[in-house]
This record gives sequence, structure tokens and C-alpha cells, in this order.
Amino acid sequence: MNLIREIWQSIVRRDRLSTDKGKSELVFLNVWLHIHPAKVKREHMKFSHTFYLGFITFFLFLILLTTGIALMCYYRPYPPQAYQDMKDLEFVVYMGSFLRAMHRWAAHGMVVCVFLHMCRVFYTGSYKKPRQFNWVVGVVLLLLTLGLSFTGYLLPWDQLAYWAITVGTNIGSYAPLVGGQLRELLLGGHTVGEAALLRFYVLHVAVLPSLLILLTIVHLWRVRKDGGLSRPVWKLKESKLETLVTIGAPAETAALQAQPAVTSKTYGLMEVVTGKPIFETVTPEEEEDTVFSYPYAFVREALALMATVTAIMTISLLFRAPLEELANPAKTPNPAKAPWYFLGLQELVSHSALLGGVVAPALMVVALLAIPYFDRNPSRQLTQRKWALGLFTLFVVVNLVLIVVGTFFRGPGWALVPPWVHVVGGAE
Amino acid sequence: MNRRSFLKWSWGAAGLLALVSAIGVSLAAVLRFLMPSVFYEPPQAFKIGTPADFPFGPPTFLVEEKIFVFRDRDKGFSAASAVCTHLGCTVAHFQSDQRFHCPCHGSVFAADGSVQHGPAPRALDWFEVTLSRDGQLRVDKNKVVPPTYRLMV
Repeated sequence: MNLIREIWQSIVRRDRLSTDKGKSELVFLNVWLHIHPAKVKREHMKFSHTFYLGFITFFLFLILLTTGIALMCYYRPYPPQAYQDMKDLEFVVYMGSFLRAMHRWAAHGMVVCVFLHMCRVFYTGSYKKPRQFNWVVGVVLLLLTLGLSFTGYLLPWDQLAYWAITVGTNIGSYAPLVGGQLRELLLGGHTVGEAALLRFYVLHVAVLPSLLILLTIVHLWRVRKDGGLSRPVWKLKESKLETLVTIGAPAETAALQAQPAVTSKTYGLMEVVTGKPIFETVTPEEEEDTVFSYPYAFVREALALMATVTAIMTISLLFRAPLEELANPAKTPNPAKAPWYFLGLQELVSHSALLGGVVAPALMVVALLAIPYFDRNPSRQLTQRKWALGLFTLFVVVNLVLIVVGTFFRGPGWALVPPWVHVVGGAE
Repeated sequence: MNRRSFLKWSWGAAGLLALVSAIGVSLAAVLRFLMPSVFYEPPQAFKIGTPADFPFGPPTFLVEEKIFVFRDRDKGFSAASAVCTHLGCTVAHFQSDQRFHCPCHGSVFAADGSVQHGPAPRALDWFEVTLSRDGQLRVDKNKVVPPTYRLMV
């Protein structure tokens, strides 16, 4: 028994979790957990503050990583075989259909959650000093998520995949000067063919996930260094100084004001780091509201993880991932649509390929990246940010409307067809 | 600037230049590596069969080559690209109105390939059709010809 205890204690070198010291050591002696602070502020963990969208996005990525590796065992990135492997996954491989559905729905979910997370960060003004650059990292993570989704879209090598990528990569070729060569570089050829499938596969399983993981590490590290989750806006109200009343004094006498003895208290984590850190500065009043991450934060994160996995599994049991017929370069489906999150782009492209497909999205990305440097207003209160809120809401609404129109209101020949009208046959 | 600081500065500049050129050359090499030296794709010039293989009237659509071959009773042979100039979808030729329709974004091309409707930026290409020595028709996609081009056989 002594040996077992000795082995256990060589692995887990903290005090027992019933003690405060043990709770702290659990976090900062563990390489995986020490991205958390030992103590968190209670209201930062409130669901209504962040809706846990960042966590959920991260958990969806974990689902994608695990199911993706599983799918790789049965997939060959070569034109006719790729489609046969999809059929095998759907009908032959044990749980193949379920894993593929999980991968597909988690990918859609990740695009949605990244976008919602961005909206939350914007509306709470959490991109403001000192978090400007982390917003930029976040926008790059959004682009990487879209890139991963787009490259994954081709891999089934069915009609849906083939034409979405044909249309999508042709949009890029409208970029002035380099567009055509860029497309050739991406596809490894002039049309979407076997070279393109291999390149998309390499991007999808190696290049883009590595970049995403590296930048996620930076993203989370910076959140931690900037004091954890940003403060809820409702906690930003200036605390009023208490007024003292001198008993017996005339009413017009100016009241005495109490000055707090200590305005802030700083926890320095490492003695070698000199100077006052920009993080972990709390007032004594706030300190009362902090709790140990174990179990307070970890339980909530675990619940979010379980809810995410359960939701994806349930959806995957109810809805299978779509698989159309084998890619046929000769027959364009009518209408041929890009993945839904690019349908806003396709809607713009249907009006002008250069303006809608290159200029507008480029401006959108630049605008998103520039937000924290362009918006000099230091306030995070909603009432003091009317211009910023208006513009961002306009951006969100325009994107949503374009996507909805592209998804539900476009029929054969990209004609405007309301979703409740059923087109028989269509133009053939 | 004395000699000592000049030498120091020169070393620094030379070092920086070496570093920048090394990075530049490496990047160029990576780009060149990614650009295939050989494309394993269908050839751009190909034989499509003897003139007798093609009927008069509606055009023949060649799936692999993505072209329409027209045979006109008194004008001869011509070949039009079936690739929409907008985003590369394959257009269909409607016998009813003698026009080309793109299913992706609704571009419509007239019988001579010119844009009539939709976002397509330019007309469909017409390719040179020649008769090779073995009596087969030969289409060269590298040679774009005006829509009035015809091969009389």
C-alpha cells in the first residue's frame, strides 16, 4: 500500500483538495490547468456574461480533432477512391456514418460559435485596451476556421463538394494581378482535380489545424495575462465613496469623505518579474467575490463540455451528413451553391465577381482587424458606444440577410425563388 | 563617421542583406515548389473524331473536354467553350432559345457566345477547329478564335 501511495504522490504532488493550498496547487502545478488562475471572480463565470461561447468553440474544436483523426483512418485523398471511402464510411465502417456526421455538424457549429463569440466580445467591448491585439488574433482564428471548413468541404468528392470548390476558388481568381496564379497554386492545376484534392487534404489535416492550435494557445495565454475573462459590463459602475455625516453639524456643512486605505492590491506571481503587472489587480471589495477555480470554474467548464458533446451527438444521431452523387465535372447542379457561410459572398458575386468576391470581403476583413485600433472610445458602457454598436450591428445584419437570401431564396439559375415555392424540375 | 563605426555598420548591413536575401530566396523556392512542373490534366489540344461523327442541328457536348461542337449545313464546324466565364460552372445549351444558360448565377449567352444577361464578365470562348491528316477533327483550346470562325469540310 505504501508503494501505491508513493507512486500516486510522485504523480500528484499537491496538497489535498480539501485545503485552500491544495486547490491552488491543483491549478498551478499542473501544466494543463495552469492556463486558469487559481481563483476566479464569481461574476466572470456567469453564463449570461459570455454564454461560454469561447469554451464551446474550443470544445467543438476538440470534437473535430478527435473525429477527424478517426475519419483519416478510412480516407484516401484521391479522386475516385475518396468518394468510395465516403460511401464506405456511410454504409460499411462501424459507426462511420455517426463519426462523419459529428465531424460535419461540429464544423458548422464551430463556424457559428466563433462568429457569436466575436459578437459577444464586441458588444461587451472586451477588445479594448489592453486586449486590442487579442481581437486581431481572434479574427485570424475566425479566418482559419472558415479555411478549415472550406478545405474540408472538398474532401467527400461529391457533386456538392466539387462545385462549391469550383465556384469558391474561381471567386479568388478575380483578385487583381495575382488571382489566377493564386488559384493555380492552391489547386495545383487549372481545374479542381486530383492535385487540388491532395492539396486541400494537406491544408485540412496538417497546415491549418497546426496554425489554429498555435494561435489558440496565443489567444488563451493573452486572455489569461490580461486578467482572465473580461469584466462584465454591469460591474463597471464607479463605486461611490461613502459620505460621513458629522452629527450635530449644520446641514450646509460639507460632508467628510472616507478614503479607502488601500485602493488596490497586487498579486505578483513571480518574484523575478519586476514592476507592477497589468493583470491580477483587484480591489479588496472585488477580492471578496473571488472563488477557487477548483471546483467553481472547472465544474462549469465540464458542464459546458458535456453539453456541447451531447448536443453534437444528438444532432448527429438525428441528421446524417449529406453525401451527393460522385463529382461530375460535366454536370453542374442547378443551382450550384457554396457552403452556407459563403453564400452571402456568392450572393454578392452574383452581382459582381470583382466587387462582391474580392473587394467587399477584403474590406470586411480589414475593417474587422482594425476595429480595436480605430475605435478610440475607452468606454465599455453600451450607452456610450452608439456609433460602434450601430455599425457592427449593421455588419452582422447585412451578413445574415445575404446568407439567408443565398440559402433560402435562390433557386435554379440563381433566380429569386421564395422557399415556399417548389420548383419542379428546374431549368435543365 | 569614423572607420570603426563604418566597419561595424557595414558588417551589420551585410548581415541584414544576407538574411533578407536568404529568406527571399527560400520563399521563392517554396512558391516554385508548390507550382507544379507537370500538370497531369487533359491536354489542351485534342482530336474529337471524324466529321461524320457529328450530326447537323443541335450541338454535340463533349463531357471530358467541356466543349460544344456545332455542325452547320452550309457553314461548317465550330467549337464553343462550355465553361462559364464568371466562375467556371458548366453552361447548358438550350435548343428552345438557341442560347447558353449557366446554372450557377444565371448568366445567359447568345448563340454567338456573347453575354446577354447575368454577371459573366465576357463572352464564351470559341476554339480553333482544324482537320488533321488522319481525317479527324482537332480542337486547340489554346487558340481562341472569333465566333464567326468556321471549318468547312
